[in-house]
Amino acid sequence: MAGVKISEEAVFRWVVIVALAGASVIALTLLTRPLVGALWGLVLVCWAAVHAYRWVERKRRGS
Amino acid sequence: MESATVALGHDHADEHHGPPEANQSSRIDRQTLGILLFIVSEVMLFGAFFASYFFLRVVVNPSAWPPHPYELPVAVAGVNTAILVSSSFTVHYALEAIRRGNRAGLKLGLLLTWMLGATFLFIQLNEYVHLGFSARDLSFGSIFYSLTGLHGAHVFVGLMLLTFASIRAFRGHFGPDAEDHLGVEVPGIYWHFVDVMWIVVFVTVYIL
Repeated sequence: MAGVKISEEAVFRWVVIVALAGASVIALTLLTRPLVGALWGLVLVCWAAVHAYRWVERKRRGS
Repeated sequence: MESATVALGHDHADEHHGPPEANQSSRIDRQTLGILLFIVSEVMLFGAFFASYFFLRVVVNPSAWPPHPYELPVAVAGVNTAILVSSSFTVHYALEAIRRGNRAGLKLGLLLTWMLGATFLFIQLNEYVHLGFSARDLSFGSIFYSLTGLHGAHVFVGLMLLTFASIRAFRGHFGPDAEDHLGVEVPGIYWHFVDVMWIVVFVTVYIL
């Protein structure tokens, strides 16, 4: 089963990252306004999308 | 004579049993491609519901959200979020255990994960009963039940996968090698995905 490149360990790391990101959005929303929290959430989603795209590109070039 | 040679050649070719090797045209290996396509399709599914949610909230009902007199039980949902996030740790523990050959840890981790997932689903259903509004009440009710219900359906599927994995674990299946515990690893990845989606749903629906 040498083909598996996505392991549960890697996905679990992302669960922790998303949980921390969610906590930061919650904290920002409670401290300021929902709009600020939503904008921060949007920034994080964009960052994650760029990171995911780069990861896929690296995988594609690597294989 | 010629036909006999052809027939002999054909017999020789038939010595290879089973189907031919699958052609791999993609530069990404098929397991990675499969998981990526699944995750992308799920993200698009949830994305459609989130798009509806924000459209209804920002464009259709820009004044008050949730509309008066409806209120969402944020504290209960927060506790439920903690329960689901902790279930990701227990499924990770189960996989770490089987990687080290610890069968008792695998069983314990899977059982704990199952119980936490079932508790989450039970609290979610209990919340539905006591909310005081239904999916028929305004667009708010429709999108609330659609979004949380879609996620609840995913939790239910995850529980089914965990049930099968647990039964197999108690029957003595799975081993420390990667190919020997794929039946726990794949449900584990799915469970983490369900967990991540709930964090996004919770923050969007209950907090923002």
